[in-house]
Amino acid sequence: MNVDIQSLGTFNQLAHEGAKQATQSLAQMTGIDAVVDVTKITLLDRADIGEDLAGRDFVGVQFEYEGVLEGDTVLVFDAESADTIADALMAGASDDPGMAQSAVKEIGNIMMSGFIDGWADYLDSTIDHSPPEYIEKSGAAVLPEAPETGDHRQVFVFKSEIEWVGESVNFYIYMLPEYEPLAEAMVESVDTEGDAIPIDKLQTFNEMTTKGTQQAADNVEMMTGIPTEAEVTQISFAPIEDVPKQIGTDTYVGTVVEFTGVPSGYLMVLFDEVSAVNVAEAMMPVEMDGDGLDDQHKAAIEELGNIMTSGFVDGWANVLQTSVDHTPPKLVHDMGRAIVDPLAAQVGQHQEHAFIIDSKMQTDDIEFSAEIHALPNEQELRAALDDLDVDRADETEADVEQIFE
Amino acid sequence: MKVYDGSQTESGEEAKPERLKVGIAEYEVTTDSAVLTTSGLGSCIGIALYDEPTGAAGLVHIMLPTAEDVEGGNRAKFADTGVTELVEALEAVGASAETMQAKIAGGSDMLDFSENGSSIGSRNLDQVRATLSEFDIPIAGEDVGGDHGRSLRLEADSGDLVVKSANTESVVL
Repeated sequence: MNVDIQSLGTFNQLAHEGAKQATQSLAQMTGIDAVVDVTKITLLDRADIGEDLAGRDFVGVQFEYEGVLEGDTVLVFDAESADTIADALMAGASDDPGMAQSAVKEIGNIMMSGFIDGWADYLDSTIDHSPPEYIEKSGAAVLPEAPETGDHRQVFVFKSEIEWVGESVNFYIYMLPEYEPLAEAMVESVDTEGDAIPIDKLQTFNEMTTKGTQQAADNVEMMTGIPTEAEVTQISFAPIEDVPKQIGTDTYVGTVVEFTGVPSGYLMVLFDEVSAVNVAEAMMPVEMDGDGLDDQHKAAIEELGNIMTSGFVDGWANVLQTSVDHTPPKLVHDMGRAIVDPLAAQVGQHQEHAFIIDSKMQTDDIEFSAEIHALPNEQELRAALDDLDVDRADETEADVEQIFE
Repeated sequence: MKVYDGSQTESGEEAKPERLKVGIAEYEVTTDSAVLTTSGLGSCIGIALYDEPTGAAGLVHIMLPTAEDVEGGNRAKFADTGVTELVEALEAVGASAETMQAKIAGGSDMLDFSENGSSIGSRNLDQVRATLSEFDIPIAGEDVGGDHGRSLRLEADSGDLVVKSANTESVVL
């Protein structure tokens, strides 16, 4: 199957409209004022779905739906927000577990009916859904089983985040459609002439990025002695103005490079401040006095960012069999969104939507995690994938091993 | 039958001004002293317009200089159409461009890799100034350029624009 950029754009728009319908229903029925924060389509390995939910408890509702699209969808929020939500629906509801549960169920029903109707409206078709089922689980377990995809190891996930204005409550909608109906709907919704990307190439590319991340993680381990694991690699698609929202408003330290070649684009290696200090000190020969981030830490981060970038970019270049060069790293220490903002603007001069490649790595030894985000030029990425020889798919494992030795 | 009117959330609390979040390539307008916020401005610019006679205020978060080459896109994404959109939205609630004042922040040159030509931040800034001057709207305060990110809070009851940066003190424009 080929997915073209346009249909990804259209489907992202659909998910966004669905989420907007959900918030409107919420406002009408409850007076809760909420806004859709982020909507994106992500292609990732089945095993990695919901990785970003790890370590938190959730409550919410789950639905099955069928019609022009089929699959499962959930609406969840942090368990600790449940009381706030129940009380907003019915004062005092949080005191009674039974009532709280039915409040959650009711709000889920209201929002998800809106969400699914939004999709059906835009596809000009019907989608039926089952009654809501109350769920209460931890981390990724709260999400429905990913659909069987036959030969495909990776699945498309539609994710929307809705923020309740004035409260620190976020609603998360995950929709996991069955592969075939989704593919059909995508093919029908737009013509695939011209700018199509074969889906298997996108998957191969994802796997290659995982190898690149592993190489970057190995480089961290080499320089710091801290065993570091590559965690998640995913490729998402979102409107350019939603790109900076993928990163939080917290302060990050890291490096940014521009890479040139096919594709060109930008690559960020970002550490939260605690991780930055921890990993920098692991690289230093002597114990540091004082706390907080100083110039020595930053110099260490710059060096580390450089070597991580090289590992990552070399992986791409080898797989795509093109040459990808990059500028010397620029050190950044600022709010996450403001770091991404100028890069998204650069890319946004030529395109409405963007692919965002996200990787994470972490270690059990100390509090440390790092994120790599790449923002390639969309047309060039498509061209590079077009040239990618999928017949080599079987060999890629072997190839990659050779490449990274 | 339950009645959902949201009223229970307001009882007993001191009335706090409503808070409206303005995302990238979005704008909001208020006539009842809401607080308008936007975060993570790098090369983007936040343009706050305040019309003292009516108390109307608005904030737009633009990303790129001009909508010239884009058809049917989101007008709030660009400096030229974004400023125009905000002026029109304020006029629609009774404000007049003749009495509006502007405060602007953002347009930093951080992470500018362009070796020739000016950065997006400074081109954004040029376009914002040009469009505001087309409407004869004076710029009453600004915190622009540099190489750091900013977040903004527009307090519509006073027209104050509070600019926060990751590594420095807040500035009130």
